[in-house]
Amino acid sequence: MRVLADVTGENLRLWRESKGWDVPRMARELRKAARDTGEDVAAHHGLVKMIPQWERGGRAPRERYRLLYLKVFEDMAGGLSQSMAAGADLVMRIADIRSYAAGLPAPDEIRTLEAAALAKPRKSMTPAEIRARAAEAIIHLREVAAKIAELSALLGDDAVGEVES
Amino acid sequence: MSARDDEIRRVVAELDAHMAAVEASVAALKALLADDEVPGQEDPS
Repeated sequence: MRVLADVTGENLRLWRESKGWDVPRMARELRKAARDTGEDVAAHHGLVKMIPQWERGGRAPRERYRLLYLKVFEDMAGGLSQSMAAGADLVMRIADIRSYAAGLPAPDEIRTLEAAALAKPRKSMTPAEIRARAAEAIIHLREVAAKIAELSALLGDDAVGEVES
Repeated sequence: MSARDDEIRRVVAELDAHMAAVEASVAALKALLADDEVPGQEDPS
C-alpha cells in the first residue's frame, strides 16, 4: 500500500541510493515528476540543498514533496509493509514535533515579553494575570523539554531535540 | 503496534498539549503588547 507516511528521511535516502542517483539527479527527478502533474516546485539548486536535509531528518518535506517522492518511487513505496508505514508515520510525527519545539520561544524571551507587557498597563489583563501567563508558559516550556528528553530516552536517541529550560 | 510505540504516542500527545499551552500563553502576551489600549484612554463614545 502506498502511504504518505512512508516518506521518511531514511527511506528517502535508501530509495535514492537504490536507484544509484546522486542528489542533483534526485532533484531533477522530482522536478520532472512535478512538471508531469503541472505543479510548481523549488528550483533545482533549492532542491539540491533541501534533499540532504530531508534525508538526514533535520527537516521534513512538505506534503507536496512527499507526494512527489511517492510518485517517483511508486514501486518501492508500494512494497513497504503497513507496520513499516506506521513506524514511519511516527518518525514523521516526531520530526514535526522536533521542528515545532525548536521554534518555541526560550524562557528568556517569555520573560522579556512579560516585562514589556508589565511596562505598559492595560485594562484587558492585570499585572498579576500577565505574570501568571508568563509563568504558565515557562512551566509548560519546561514540560516540553522534559517530554522531549523522555521521548529521546524511549527512542534511544540523544538528538531528538532540545528546548532551553 | 508495540507497547513502546504506544508509550511514544502517549509522550507525543503530552508534548503536543504542552506546546499548545506555551503557544497560547505567548500569543496572549503578544496580543497584549499589540494592543495599544491604556487605562484611562478609553473611547468616551
